[in-house]
Amino acid sequence: MSISIFKKFGLLFLVLVLSAVMVACSDDETNSTDTNTTTDNGSANSETEESTGLSGEITVWAHPYTDGTTGEGDMWKTFAADFESETGVKVNFEQIPWANRDQKILTALAAGQGPDVFYVIPDQMPQYAEQQLILDISQYVTDEELSGFVPTAIEATSWKGKQYGMPILQTAESLVYNKEILTELGVDENSLPTTWDEFKALAEKAKAAGYYAFSYAGGGSLNNTLYPFLWQAGGNVIDESNNILINKPEAVKSFELINEMYTKGWIPQDSITALDHDSLYFGGKLLAVNGSGISVNRLLAEKPFDFVIAPPLKDAEQLTYGTVGMFVGSAISKNPEAAAEFMKYVTNTENQRTFNNITQYIPTRDDAKDIFDSQPYMAQLAGYTQYAKPGIIHPEGRNIMPVVQAEIQAMLEGKQSPQEAADKSAEAIDKLINK
Amino acid sequence: MTSTTSKQSLSARIKRELNKNLLVYIVLIPVIIHFIIFQVYPFALSFYLTFHDWKIIGDPEFVGLKHWKNLFDDEIAWKAIWNTVKFSVYYILPTMALGLILALIINSGIKFSGFFKGLFFLPVVTSFVIIAGIWGWLFRGTEDGFINYLIGFVGIDPQLFLSSSSQALLVLAGLSIFKVAGTTMIYYYAGLQSIDRQLYEAARIDGANSWKMFWSVTFPMLKPIHFYVAITTTIGSFQIFDSAFLLTNGGPNYSTTTIVYYLYHQGFTSLNLSYAAVLSYVLFFIILIISLIQRKYIGKDPNYY
Repeated sequence: MSISIFKKFGLLFLVLVLSAVMVACSDDETNSTDTNTTTDNGSANSETEESTGLSGEITVWAHPYTDGTTGEGDMWKTFAADFESETGVKVNFEQIPWANRDQKILTALAAGQGPDVFYVIPDQMPQYAEQQLILDISQYVTDEELSGFVPTAIEATSWKGKQYGMPILQTAESLVYNKEILTELGVDENSLPTTWDEFKALAEKAKAAGYYAFSYAGGGSLNNTLYPFLWQAGGNVIDESNNILINKPEAVKSFELINEMYTKGWIPQDSITALDHDSLYFGGKLLAVNGSGISVNRLLAEKPFDFVIAPPLKDAEQLTYGTVGMFVGSAISKNPEAAAEFMKYVTNTENQRTFNNITQYIPTRDDAKDIFDSQPYMAQLAGYTQYAKPGIIHPEGRNIMPVVQAEIQAMLEGKQSPQEAADKSAEAIDKLINK
Repeated sequence: MTSTTSKQSLSARIKRELNKNLLVYIVLIPVIIHFIIFQVYPFALSFYLTFHDWKIIGDPEFVGLKHWKNLFDDEIAWKAIWNTVKFSVYYILPTMALGLILALIINSGIKFSGFFKGLFFLPVVTSFVIIAGIWGWLFRGTEDGFINYLIGFVGIDPQLFLSSSSQALLVLAGLSIFKVAGTTMIYYYAGLQSIDRQLYEAARIDGANSWKMFWSVTFPMLKPIHFYVAITTTIGSFQIFDSAFLLTNGGPNYSTTTIVYYLYHQGFTSLNLSYAAVLSYVLFFIILIISLIQRKYIGKDPNYY
């Protein structure tokens, strides 16, 4: 008796499972038919669709650029609604946390899904472009449309002559000094160091007064540690023809500078692996950091001390690090035209004003930079974007970092000289690009 | 004729089996489906990947043993394996010992043992990111780091801790011990509770002191717990990743690059998923072999009396 009840129950269960599977399959079919129909029929249903030739929907992934209190969510809703009314394309906006964004995007793309439009920075872009993960938008965007952007931003969003991204934001790092320490050292804020030698003299002074002169987060990105000095010295890591430049004499100067800063105690002892020196800086024990808009806004909000921003240092050249944030399209997007149109739309002058006003980044169009007319610090940083280089633009750019970082760490531990560290870095980079 | 009979008997056997155990199969189906999708399929796919180059999208390209050969020339991979072995040495026995000591404390009938149990277990339930943040703050390599400040009182010079290639792995092991000892304590506490009180009485009658009783009664009676804890902490130690990821980024100079950290880095930063799959197989075989050895030597049924 009980067996027959189980049998009936089992049969019922099987029927349920099978029907669920069948429903799922037929759902898929309907969906794909729907998509086909839409594509086949073109965009005949609404006027906007007729005029733009666009239809369907796109998915956009972006990240939390603010703490969410300044209306970022509403901004995206307005962007999506306005774009839909202008073009007839529905925008599904999804906010993805910053943490592990590479992995999230890659796993989604690997599964043949994921966003049509997403956000990257220049040292990710060539890697994605080489792996053919992102869309070459050269065919969708004219030179005239690109002409309104700052040239460095366009340079940072193209690779091997192809345009891959539309730049939405820029940052520029520069020296942010603790004014109170400067006063204690008797240094006038109008005569701050502009060259390496002047900076070294000031660092020595700060050290003698019991302060650290500078922050060096040796466990973090080289964009904020080695590279600015490397560029200032006139050096580079690698050029477009894969020539390795990191152990050339001018590049070695930057290794020597970092080594000198460490051995003389100008940077904290834990600089070898430190991820930041915020607590020392905000605690008033550190004279200067390389800061961007985020640090400036934090200083303005928390007011731990008065501060002053100075231009990037110069040795052979005056340069600093500054990234460019861009939207790129997925290479497997089913609606590439609409994706490219959205990228252009969201980076137009008006939307850049809105976006960068809310997020406090620097616009990539000169005509949108008027948002900082009443914010002197941001306006000052915006002026330094002309010196900003966006990292090493190379498919192996991100892989180069950890190998060079390890050699610098060994140098700071006293296990090798700056020249040896540079030579070993060159060797490791050679292995990477010729593997 | 014979085959028809055997067919009949086979179908009859299946029918009989279904009649008898249909419910078992029905209950098992979702579990098996889940197991196939989330265990068998990734396991097989990653093995397939080790022989291919895969560009995330598109079809993998067959490259034979290229990635396996790379492993033998890759100094960092071997360093990562060696670091992981060192980490295990720093981590497994201290975690077991500390867990046992904590369990003995709360089992000894001291006052407020419930409070201590909660206190010792607190790191286990606290988010690892928070604990790691506190650990990083305690072991800051500057003069004003908390531990440096403390050891300054006894005349020890400030240490670099996470910034020193000889100390960083030890500090990370300390963090893992602190985080996990509460869990091993609970296992040992359960084990201690299950030991027959008569054994202690008998030992006492024989004139054994507490020390002798611990080594002759308590310790051997905890053998199944030792085995379980040894296996789980070993597997945990070979999978160590988060502390290196959060505190040192594998540095200084690869001294805290563990095999999982390196694997993660290869797979998701360098997009070299095939090589990451090779590394994951290396990890799998290491854990498999160690588990088999542990089973052989400490996994036998305890010989109680």
